[in-house]
Amino acid sequence: MEAKGPRLAIIGLDGVPYELIRDLAAKGVMPMVDELFQEGKLDKMASSVPAVSSVAWSSIITGENPGTHGIFGFTDVAAGSYRLTFPNFAQLKAPPFWEESLFGRSAILNVPSTYPARPMNGVHIAGFVAPDLTKAVYPPSLVDQLRAWEYEVDVDASSAHQSLELFLRKLNQTLDARTRAFLGLVERPWDTFMAVYTGTDRLLHFLWPAVTDPRHRLHEAALDYFRRVDHSIGRLVERLPEEAPLVMLSDHGFEALEIQVNINRFLLQEGFLRWRRERPRSLNDLAEGSVAFALDPARIYLHRKGRYPRGTVGEDQAEKLVDQLAAALAELRVEGREAVARVYRRQEIYHGPQVDRAPDLVAIPAPGIEFKAGLEADSLAEPAAPFTGKHRGDNAFLYVRPPEGHEQPPQARSVQDVQPLLVWLKNSLCQSRRRNDE
Amino acid sequence: MSKDHNAQKTCWNCPALELRGHVDFRACGQSMRKFMTEGQAMAECKRRPELGLFDPASLTFEECPEWEEGPYGYQLRDMRVLILGIDGYLGWTLALWLGSLGFRVAGVDNFNRRRWVAEEGSHSVVPIAPMEERLRAAKEVLGIEISFREFDILDNEKLRQFIQEFQPEAIVHYAECPSAPYSMVDFQHAAYVQHNNVIGTLGLLFAMRDLAPEASLIKLGTMGEYGTPLTGRPIFEGIFPADAVLQWDGREWSLGGELTPRDPVSFYHVSKVQDTFNVYESCKYWWLRSYDVMQGVIYGVHTEQVAADPRLRTRFDVDEWFGTVINRFVAQAVVGIPLTIYGSGGQTRGFLALRDAMQCMTRLILSPPEPGQYDVVNQISGVYRVRELAETVARIAADEFGLEVEIQRLENPRVEADEHPYEVVYEKLPQQLGFEPQVTLEEEVYQMLKLLIQPSIRSRIEAIRQVILPKTRWSGLHKEMDVIERYKVRPRRVVGLGAEGGGEDDPER
Ligand SMILES: NC(=O)c1ccc[n+]([C@@H]2O[C@H](COP(=O)([O-])OP(=O)(O)OC[C@H]3O[C@@H](n4cnc5c(N)ncnc54)[C@H](O)[C@@H]3O)[C@@H](O)[C@H]2O)c1
Repeated sequence: MEAKGPRLAIIGLDGVPYELIRDLAAKGVMPMVDELFQEGKLDKMASSVPAVSSVAWSSIITGENPGTHGIFGFTDVAAGSYRLTFPNFAQLKAPPFWEESLFGRSAILNVPSTYPARPMNGVHIAGFVAPDLTKAVYPPSLVDQLRAWEYEVDVDASSAHQSLELFLRKLNQTLDARTRAFLGLVERPWDTFMAVYTGTDRLLHFLWPAVTDPRHRLHEAALDYFRRVDHSIGRLVERLPEEAPLVMLSDHGFEALEIQVNINRFLLQEGFLRWRRERPRSLNDLAEGSVAFALDPARIYLHRKGRYPRGTVGEDQAEKLVDQLAAALAELRVEGREAVARVYRRQEIYHGPQVDRAPDLVAIPAPGIEFKAGLEADSLAEPAAPFTGKHRGDNAFLYVRPPEGHEQPPQARSVQDVQPLLVWLKNSLCQSRRRNDE
Repeated sequence: MSKDHNAQKTCWNCPALELRGHVDFRACGQSMRKFMTEGQAMAECKRRPELGLFDPASLTFEECPEWEEGPYGYQLRDMRVLILGIDGYLGWTLALWLGSLGFRVAGVDNFNRRRWVAEEGSHSVVPIAPMEERLRAAKEVLGIEISFREFDILDNEKLRQFIQEFQPEAIVHYAECPSAPYSMVDFQHAAYVQHNNVIGTLGLLFAMRDLAPEASLIKLGTMGEYGTPLTGRPIFEGIFPADAVLQWDGREWSLGGELTPRDPVSFYHVSKVQDTFNVYESCKYWWLRSYDVMQGVIYGVHTEQVAADPRLRTRFDVDEWFGTVINRFVAQAVVGIPLTIYGSGGQTRGFLALRDAMQCMTRLILSPPEPGQYDVVNQISGVYRVRELAETVARIAADEFGLEVEIQRLENPRVEADEHPYEVVYEKLPQQLGFEPQVTLEEEVYQMLKLLIQPSIRSRIEAIRQVILPKTRWSGLHKEMDVIERYKVRPRRVVGLGAEGGGEDDPER
């Protein structure tokens, strides 16, 4: 069946910063992307707070902030318990754009945080975190085909701890299989096509200096990965209808990483946090007197009465504690430098029906520093190696090639403006189609 | 009795957990590998899929509604336990015990034990019903539904099928030939015992790897695996404690965490040692979890359930191959055969009453090790010298039942020290798993005498009189032992350690 109607394509590059894609295109590492850049407009875009993929992509596909879509990070705590959950597509409280009829029949491939797949008009392969391929795919009949393509949801990044060369080989394998799947599925009928490359983010976590520093021993190997991505995009774009508008984007940016700062350790040292046992196994070991705890990367929650089994913080104390926490965070210094670039309070950044579940504070780290919320850390700060790159919130990118004969659409300043942009593009296509039909 | 030994265990220990992989937030990546040191484990609950993906360390048994308070700790509702060797002395008793606690019980047996005992011309002196009748009576009298399958566990296909079907959450592995003398009869018997035990267990481990990796294996070993180290060093619970040290040549190494030496005392015991290594390795290679239970010699006939109806009785053997020491003494006392002890009777062993063994097993089932954890418990409630036991039985028989009882010391058919130091560490069950013995030796001996003295049972002992005295020698000779000394225990005499006389029977078999 040949799909009819105006078609829209979206290509995602997880974690690729604005400056990097601009430079890789300009320097000829990504010639296909460069060619595309001549046909449309490249901009910087702000990520979500915090700048992690699950939150950012959830905003991209719904057009909402976390206070509405309900995804605040890779982890969350189930109400009335200390059970650490990994919220996913089933917990997303706002509909993704492809569930609106405007977008017609869709192919949604490897968008993070869309697991488990559910029935929809078209095909869906969830991106990470997706532990079971059979639940990651709709329709289920596609699973065998994916296995034949040797498709993997994600590269096993643990190999990077053994050898970066091995890791690069695995990244390439995963990319090749992903390209096979993308090319196979772009040939099938669709009205909206969205495919995300996620290996870019994995690579930048471990190989940021290799990408940015020409003297690095793996510089060429790392650039080769981007060449392959470019080639893959080229083959994909070849198969798109020429007149179709194209959006290309990342969910957050990146920068160099030197030091990891353990936020729960900080809370412990400052007396905000206490454990019931010497070596905490989980949040379930939070002691009665704890007033706050953190979830990755630096979402700080008050240990509220009524919300957590041993929570003691009452509504009347909340504001004062938030002030104290914000003040303490502002003072946080590691290795002689300020560690916190900015502290957001809940009401500054989140709004909507899910806002009660939001963290009370979110700390944004200074350059070179990454916040983590592990429980067992013995020290406040530690070298981040083998991790050398970290997410950054203000330099995601957005590229739009408008439909033929149309102006540039209104600019999307942040990830939650993407869905309205997609709607705008679809609508303008429908209008021009109607005009043509008249 | 302590119920809270497992309250703080988490889903990480629970067999209903399905590990799904790992996420490493520092790399924003996922790994489908279930076991890693990096990152955060993600799990789903097979019983409560609505929980979605979560961190298995963040929910305790105490908080999980699937785990309910029971008499022996938090109990997984309708927990599915597969008992291999369910027709045996311990297997049948455990099936009824667990069934009446609300566990869902399935079992396998090929009636090997009934054949082995018949091979010697013997029988269970407490009559036992055929399996169909046992199952029917369990349903009628106790309301327990047991799902039973007859096959040899060496038939790996059938074993796999049944595991697949029943989806056990714990597997109790009793299905081995438990007799030391039987394994010493000749080459054929030694090879048979080792094949049955070692290959049976190995097949089970492979089946678990493929079909039930989350189930907890409770594998029966024996205290006899350790032997009796003549240096008197303590017999630890299978694994050296963290502060154990090896000194040699002016140098020092930590032994903490290593398996302790094994020094088995028959080819049967060797099969158990081989099992130990096979289980240990599978935990290491495949992240299986297991308790290796170094069980002492079990004595007794009573639990509430087996006593509830004659068709529910468990077997009770007193022949030279399959009878265990205290049980044999009681039978000998009842039919007027002198209680037989070997050599000086100074052999010291760990013992446990049948009912207490059931309590221990329940606690182990309810407290599964972590994935990949091979754990060992020394399952005994006390340590006795054999001649002291003979004297205790003789005294109770004389005092309470007016029986005239003699003790005779025989040449020792075995190769073992009959005077030796013996310091057993048995701390995990009482200290970590809340085990409190409920039965005293004297009480249980009294109960056994009371049952065995009934004419119908007494005549069944009489009928197998000729197979009670030992004839199987470790040397290979098949011949009755010479009597070294025979003496009478006077009524109302207080017996203590080091009393004169003695010899021993066969502590295990
Ligand atoms: N009773 C004790 O004093 C004692 C002490 C220490 C350890 N153990 C161990 O506990 C376990 C149970 O002992 P028990 O006294 O109940 O012995 P048992 O012989 O009464 O029970 C074992 C059961 O397993 C069955 N079996 C054996 N091989 C089998 C096979 N290949 N396939 C299917 N079924 C098979 C037998 O028919 C028997 O019913 C044994 O492993 C034994 O070594 C017992």
